[in-house]
Amino acid sequence: MDNLFVPASGTWQPVSPRLATVRRIEIGAVAAVVVVVGLVLLVLLGDLRWIGVAVAAVGLAGGAWGWSWAGRNQRSWGYTENADDLLVTRGVMFKRLVAIPYGRMQFVDVQAGPLARAFGIATVTLHTASTETAADIPGLASGEATRLRNRLTELGESRGAGL
Amino acid sequence: MAPGSDAVVEAVGHRTHPLTAVVRGALLAVAAVLGLLGSVFSGDTWGDVPAVVALGIALVGGLVLGMVVGFAGWLFTRYVIDGTELRIDSGVVTKSSRRIPYERIQSVDIAEPLVARVLGLAELRIEMAGGKDSRTSLRFLKLADARALRRVLLSRAHGDDVEQAPDERRSIITRVPPERVMIGTLLSLDFAFAAAGSLVLLVLATWFGGVVVLLGGIVPLATWLAQIVARRVLQQWNFTLSRGERGLRIERGLLSRTSQTIPVDRVQGIAVKEPFVWRRLGWQRLEVDIAGYAEHGDDDDGDSSSVLLPIADRALAAAVIAELMPSASIDVPHIAAPRRSRLFAPIGWRFRWVGADAASFVAHEGWIEQTTSIVPHRRTQSVELRQGPLQRRRRVATVEVHTPKGPVDADGRHLDEGEAREVLLAQLERARAARV
Repeated sequence: MDNLFVPASGTWQPVSPRLATVRRIEIGAVAAVVVVVGLVLLVLLGDLRWIGVAVAAVGLAGGAWGWSWAGRNQRSWGYTENADDLLVTRGVMFKRLVAIPYGRMQFVDVQAGPLARAFGIATVTLHTASTETAADIPGLASGEATRLRNRLTELGESRGAGL
Repeated sequence: MAPGSDAVVEAVGHRTHPLTAVVRGALLAVAAVLGLLGSVFSGDTWGDVPAVVALGIALVGGLVLGMVVGFAGWLFTRYVIDGTELRIDSGVVTKSSRRIPYERIQSVDIAEPLVARVLGLAELRIEMAGGKDSRTSLRFLKLADARALRRVLLSRAHGDDVEQAPDERRSIITRVPPERVMIGTLLSLDFAFAAAGSLVLLVLATWFGGVVVLLGGIVPLATWLAQIVARRVLQQWNFTLSRGERGLRIERGLLSRTSQTIPVDRVQGIAVKEPFVWRRLGWQRLEVDIAGYAEHGDDDDGDSSSVLLPIADRALAAAVIAELMPSASIDVPHIAAPRRSRLFAPIGWRFRWVGADAASFVAHEGWIEQTTSIVPHRRTQSVELRQGPLQRRRRVATVEVHTPKGPVDADGRHLDEGEAREVLLAQLERARAARV
């Protein structure tokens, strides 16, 4: 079914494409290290240089796959603010949709690492009393992240239903 | 040292009982000896030191160390009860001061570990919602003081501003006789497996004359067996469930006694469990989700503290559920897993269904141990819909109703994808209606 993960009302707000860029840089850095290790092995190991070739190939293949994954994954994220709940979706292969009533929110976090800050994006995480509620929205533009946090906090306070 | 007895004392705070140090020393000594016993049985040695001497050193060392640490801790621990919060100041080197606002208290339990019980002391455990650090313990108070403090805390948690709460009237709902708990344990599959396994290994070991490999298998099996017996029999001994003005009260335990309160309005969900053999006999076990409780799973009785009723027949179980959730019913229209989901659960798919009525969401699963989870709509924390690639091919999806961590898992796994989406949307609507 195609419309399984479509919100009942409204449309999905996409997250910033800069999320893909940040992740590509991170993946690229790891892949580059693996490739360099492979090349060093290639030089150092005499008869066993195929190990170096294999390591470098794995690094290249992983980097290429990660490159395309970052794009697909970034496009799969979406969130929408309904009248009473926040809906978050994500995933290409393993799809997920979480709906959190505003009144159930215990607190909201905004996080941004150094690289994410350099690109002006942040992750907003919602916490309920349940640890199963894994509602994080990465790759929000900094202004949007702050707006969302303030709005969620405000909604959570006005509709707070205790536990 | 009755709480709130003297204004001067009030400002400085109360101390816990001085014998705390002795109890902590004894507890540490017991832990050290038990730890050593384990390694004695698995055949470790310490050079020339005989095992008995090592055990003696562990006993005395643990006792002395525990008493010194316990005394220092006691000296620097004080608790203050004021109009809005309970404050506990502690710490010898690193000072810590914990404030517990009364309205945040989820439940207050009294535990009497064997050593403390002998001395007439008890530990007061205060649960708040959320996080790993949500339990606060006061170790140790005189049993009467602990009870008085619990009454005050529970009264204040319910918004009554009282200095000295009267003892509440309680009526006993049920008392589970120890032999019933024992029979129930004997008839459960994991006990049967652990017992049969240990027996077979023991026979084999004696038959072939002390084969070390077999002994290596017996130790973990016997430990498992001992844990099952401790958890299901000793900790549930004389299980008494009673009803008071502040909710249900559970009193249980043979060696270490525990007294728990379950405020009715803090129950997040109930799980009805029916193990294989029990089902034929019409027996059930009830477990509850209470915010903060299950965060202490590593605790020695963390698992058993969420047990609401260790063993009961269906009528009694239904009566207790009705006590906690008057409008709940497990008699709801079923949305069952379709036949094509048998790829994910070849036998279990027949037993999977979810349903809801005006009051609560119900999920059922399991074929060896059948579990029915009941979550009132107003306790719905969040709802999730999930689908993996294999599920997509079979046109099924998983829907989950999230509750605070605990034994209750209201999941409808591998339902028809269209129905799963309907359940998600309908559940959001029902949860919204129930909150206002």
